[in-house]
Amino acid sequence: MAEASQSNLRQFSDGIVANNPVLVQLLGMCPTLAVTNSVENALVMGAAVIFVLTMSNLITSTLRNLLKPHVRILIFTLTIATFVTIADLVLKAYVFEVSKKLGPFVPLIIVNCIIIARAEVVASRSGLGRSLADAFGCGIGFTIALCILGAIRELLGAGGITILRDLGWHWHIDPKTFEPHAWVIMIMPPGAFLTLGAVIGVVNHLRSRGAAKGGA
Amino acid sequence: MDFGALVGIFIGAVLINNFVLAQFLGICPFLGVSRKVDMAFGMGCAVTFVMTVSGVVTWLIVHGILAPVGEWLLGDKEALFFLKYVAFIMVIASMVQLVEMYLKKFFRSLYTAFGVFLPLITTNCAILGACLLIDMNEVYQQSLLSSAVFAFGGGLGFALAITIMAGIREHVRFSDVPKPLQGAGITLLTAGILALAFMGFAGIGK
Amino acid sequence: MQKFIEESWLILVMGAVFAVLLAGVQTSLAPTITVNQAKALSEAIREVVSGTDRSEEVKIEGYDRKVYRCLGPDGNLVGFAIDAQGIGFADKIHLVVGVTVDAGKITGLKVIENVETPGLGNKIADAEWAGQYRDLDPGREIVVQKRPPKPGENEVQAITGATISSKAVTKIANEALRKVRPELVKLR
Repeated sequence: MAEASQSNLRQFSDGIVANNPVLVQLLGMCPTLAVTNSVENALVMGAAVIFVLTMSNLITSTLRNLLKPHVRILIFTLTIATFVTIADLVLKAYVFEVSKKLGPFVPLIIVNCIIIARAEVVASRSGLGRSLADAFGCGIGFTIALCILGAIRELLGAGGITILRDLGWHWHIDPKTFEPHAWVIMIMPPGAFLTLGAVIGVVNHLRSRGAAKGGA
Repeated sequence: MDFGALVGIFIGAVLINNFVLAQFLGICPFLGVSRKVDMAFGMGCAVTFVMTVSGVVTWLIVHGILAPVGEWLLGDKEALFFLKYVAFIMVIASMVQLVEMYLKKFFRSLYTAFGVFLPLITTNCAILGACLLIDMNEVYQQSLLSSAVFAFGGGLGFALAITIMAGIREHVRFSDVPKPLQGAGITLLTAGILALAFMGFAGIGK
Repeated sequence: MQKFIEESWLILVMGAVFAVLLAGVQTSLAPTITVNQAKALSEAIREVVSGTDRSEEVKIEGYDRKVYRCLGPDGNLVGFAIDAQGIGFADKIHLVVGVTVDAGKITGLKVIENVETPGLGNKIADAEWAGQYRDLDPGREIVVQKRPPKPGENEVQAITGATISSKAVTKIANEALRKVRPELVKLR
């Protein structure tokens, strides 16, 4: 049906731009601040979240007619905790170094507000197609937001970007030329807050300009 | 474990490795509940309580249930550890339920004041974060007392950060913040400066 | 009881299914993960004691961390590696220090884990800086100086701007050597 798939596509793209979980909905701030000290960390975290969000929405949507009001949240939590454990094991097996750098933040995906929110708002009320579109949209939106922040912080803070050393390939932007001038503070906690604050400021500015133009 | 070491752990958790400003735990309530000092302080107290109890209970679950049962069933005390995360979050969710029920019965006014924020303590990454940090640390794994001190210090550190932030925000309300930065933007920038300040505590251990 | 089952059958069934699923994933991935965890340490041992082919643990009286006998390709002893840990500037520092068979010289030092300040303190993980420990005397205290080390004085130079991290590494190494070396000499 043309209309249904139109809105699925919309659901997907909303998750990336108009309703970006990090930059618009302001959810999932903890990992956003913690793992954006490098693009590599951001990418791996993003992949893990896409996986958990997809599985969570998939299962929640499939079972949506069986959900009892009282145990609903517990069921969401149980599902999410299971898939986060799986993601954590997979990361430890295949990208061990990065998983160590991510520290407690992989298991902390369990309490990432984004996933529970999407389960509650979308997956528990919509069909499979819609729920999956939403999961991919929000997951990819999350990953993009994290990578933007990660790129800013790593470039300014470490002087270059290095990706996926673990899997045997490298991609970097000239660390040596920038390094002496790097602002180390960017890869430390204050840098995280400042970058996120600034980026949200920029996003809000762009959104209000967009709204003004649309209105006029 | 001698007293000096415990004090070190405590100060470490509150100041040097502050849960909010250095370890990025509990950011959502930090941004959401830091508007007024009394609410912030109340939230800080609730979180400290839940965090300390959860830290102790999850430690006991790992050492008192998962390890012995793993040993008994499968001969390896670490065999059942893959169930840790599920166990932790279920414990925390139930604990918050209990706190909620207790408050509703005995401290009605406090209960209504908190409103929706009370159940939100479950998804507060600081609580689960504290349990995970205890679990990941060799020293705390060997001593329940040091884990409890760490969890308690972590909660107090959160309370400290959120109360300071509330104090600042009450003032910022009357300043001329540029529109795009209002709300989350300015709070994050302020947090950044606070984090910078707290960085000065590093090295106190020496 | 009826109501309880009605409300919670789903969560109990899901719990059981998920437990099985998790057990399956865990069983299949556990071997890979164990290998990964051991790799960092065994690579570090190879770096600090050259010529090591494999290593075996040896229990040392009075030291609660691991010590390894390093064996060459033909099974003979080529040195010892000592695992040590302590507090740095930010948090814990985990390192391995290697000594010769007679525990008379340090063959190398490598920091395996640290969370020191990026760009400053975490230079302790650089092979270049840690190379200073090679050939020092494990029987004497190693001293950190802010100027280039004088030969024969058992010194290392601190990283500029990261004195505390540098001193922490040295202190951890000194402590470990102090506790382990006498026992190693006995083992000869």
